Amino acid sequence: MACLKQLPEELQLATAQHVKYIQSLDTKKDEYDYLLTEHLRLNGLYWGLTALHLLRHPNALPRDETIDFVLSCQHENGGFGAAPGHDAHMLYTVSAVQILALVDAFDELETRGTGKLKVAQLYSPVMAGLQDREKGTFAGDEWGEEDTRFLYGALNALSLLDMLHLVDVDKAVKHVAACANFDGGYGVNPGDESHSGQIFTCVAALTIAKRQDLIDIDRLAGWLSERQLPNGGLNGRPEKKEDVCYSWWVLSSLSMIDRAHWIDREKLIRFILQSQDTENGGISDRPGNMVDVWHTLFGLTGLSLLGYPDLDDIDPVYCLPKSTTQRIIGKRT
Amino acid sequence: MDNHGIARVARTARTDEQRKQDLEKIQKYRQLDDAIRDKASRQSYDDPALFQLTSKLLRLNPEYYTIWNVRRRCLTSGLLSRPSAGSSPSKASPSTSQSATTNLSSATSSSSSSAAIPLSPASPTTGKSGTTADAEAGVNTDVDVLRFELAFTVPLLMEFPKCYWIWKYRKWILEQAILRLPRPVASSVWEAELALASKMLVKDRRNFHAWGYRRYLVARLESTDLLGRSLVEDEFAYTTKMIQADLSNFSAWHNRSRLMFRLLDERNADDKARNVFLSTELNLVQEALNVGPEDQSLWYYHRNLVSQVTPSRGTPTIVPNLTAEQKISHLEQQIEFIKDLLEDFEDIKWPYEALLEYTLALRKLQSNAQSDGQEDDPNLFLSKLRKLDALQAGRWNDVERDIEKQLKESI
Repeated sequence: MACLKQLPEELQLATAQHVKYIQSLDTKKDEYDYLLTEHLRLNGLYWGLTALHLLRHPNALPRDETIDFVLSCQHENGGFGAAPGHDAHMLYTVSAVQILALVDAFDELETRGTGKLKVAQLYSPVMAGLQDREKGTFAGDEWGEEDTRFLYGALNALSLLDMLHLVDVDKAVKHVAACANFDGGYGVNPGDESHSGQIFTCVAALTIAKRQDLIDIDRLAGWLSERQLPNGGLNGRPEKKEDVCYSWWVLSSLSMIDRAHWIDREKLIRFILQSQDTENGGISDRPGNMVDVWHTLFGLTGLSLLGYPDLDDIDPVYCLPKSTTQRIIGKRT
Repeated sequence: MDNHGIARVARTARTDEQRKQDLEKIQKYRQLDDAIRDKASRQSYDDPALFQLTSKLLRLNPEYYTIWNVRRRCLTSGLLSRPSAGSSPSKASPSTSQSATTNLSSATSSSSSSAAIPLSPASPTTGKSGTTADAEAGVNTDVDVLRFELAFTVPLLMEFPKCYWIWKYRKWILEQAILRLPRPVASSVWEAELALASKMLVKDRRNFHAWGYRRYLVARLESTDLLGRSLVEDEFAYTTKMIQADLSNFSAWHNRSRLMFRLLDERNADDKARNVFLSTELNLVQEALNVGPEDQSLWYYHRNLVSQVTPSRGTPTIVPNLTAEQKISHLEQQIEFIKDLLEDFEDIKWPYEALLEYTLALRKLQSNAQSDGQEDDPNLFLSKLRKLDALQAGRWNDVERDIEKQLKESI
């Protein structure tokens, strides 16, 4: 990666600006757009905080306030909503568990929250939780909707909480296998078109379940590496435009199946760096567009997987720093 | 927080006027939100005002998923009749469900009755004449309530076609129709949805929400809850139509590739008919490739068809009983076709990728059968790929290693 240091200044990672940008996100309370995104608040905290950890500024957001906010989103049944007063949903519950993992605060969940058992029981099919006893699928909340995103979210959170035994992993695996397409990819549900985001969730779910043997690795890797476009960026499906977030969905999937070297690393690094706002911080979907915290995180996770210097390593399965998953999961084995 | 395709503009400080406008909008939004939270915290889901407040807030922000949940609770706490316990809905006669506390159904036969709790206090006596307020006033039976909900979400879907929560709500409403309406009525509601899915796919041919929604509709319509008959021929024809409109529509090709299994099963196709079907599909995609040899959607479909001939372990195929000769013949024909194509288009990578895959598959077959000594050298195609697609250099290195391994094993 020595050659990267010779890139022009606008193609260096703007670490200080990115840190500042993430710190500024919670100061826009008098802006209407801030209000309109309240349903993403807990996710946003997870995206921003993970980005800060990768940038090696883990304390740039105050730990106490972070934990207070996360716990303020918890409901009595153990689930988390996007913000205080928002209904509980799988998407936020996973973010909450990830944040608490990141700041090493599972003990606070026990003392000040409902405890991890109650969170985990939300998913249990035996407890009439979110897993379907017959199909192995997971719903996002009591109003239904099944999606491989939720299946992955459940396995991710339960694995972090060391509570995987509460769900039927074999049935979940069977369902993921049913989502496979001839091109090696996976969709939202059986029969749905392959999509890089869903591929990430399915490959990661199979990895957590230790069932990568079910993946048609070379076919999938070929489809994934064909997502790279001449400008270096990756798209999510054939005939679509490039987008920084696919630097994560595609590359994490390739990493998990040991094929990250199938794409042109230098070109992707350039594409991500070109999408930075080097003045005000943040990364956008593609060069010249508006930045947001979601693309900021997935630009940085992409760079991390590409071995870009001065960034911490990201775990491609959990989308958390490797140091975090090592601390939590590494010690179990 | 999730910006896609919005150009970056210099961040200038907001003017006082802009700040004032923002504050006004925030205040209005907060008032709505607070009012909803207040009523919801008191469990006043049967309060018709609460239902109307959700309409207002969801129009401002359909991503606010909690408000969709409040709206569902309003429906199940009074606006809809109680579904007959356990059994299928049969006659959702409103008069049998008056036990629900403040039940709209109680006003079924007299929408002008003052006892009715209209969804909108405005002009409760006017019938449905198309405007929102009138529609809100006119609804009173389950079918009206559910149709109203479907109509309510249409403009939101048009504006936010990728919002998961709207699609999810719509599905929930449709499931309520199955629970609460007589089967023929529910079926007609569901069938009408196919038109909406088509409309959304005309707007954006690749919207995976709309494609997934369509598959969901079809699967449910086919179940005994609704029509109880297969729609596979119609859906297959739909993919033909979509492909004819746009050859590059990978989503349509994808759906076709999934439908063809059931299509052949339901046609009771024997081995011969299956092989004829495969050849017909190959001809279809060949014709398309002659027009658009750079179109990767077509190449993916072509490779999918050829993979039916030599399926990888455990994957199903539409032609499970081909003879070795038939397999070899299919592969040789496709290799010939691509070589002809290359005479006019030699600088495209996709044909070489297909050639590489097919020649390797052919070698495997021929190592089990008689070789005619005329095989193509896969390394020739590989070297072309290295030139035309340098981005995947790492992949080609691995492929080269695998070819060597395969050759060694075959000796």
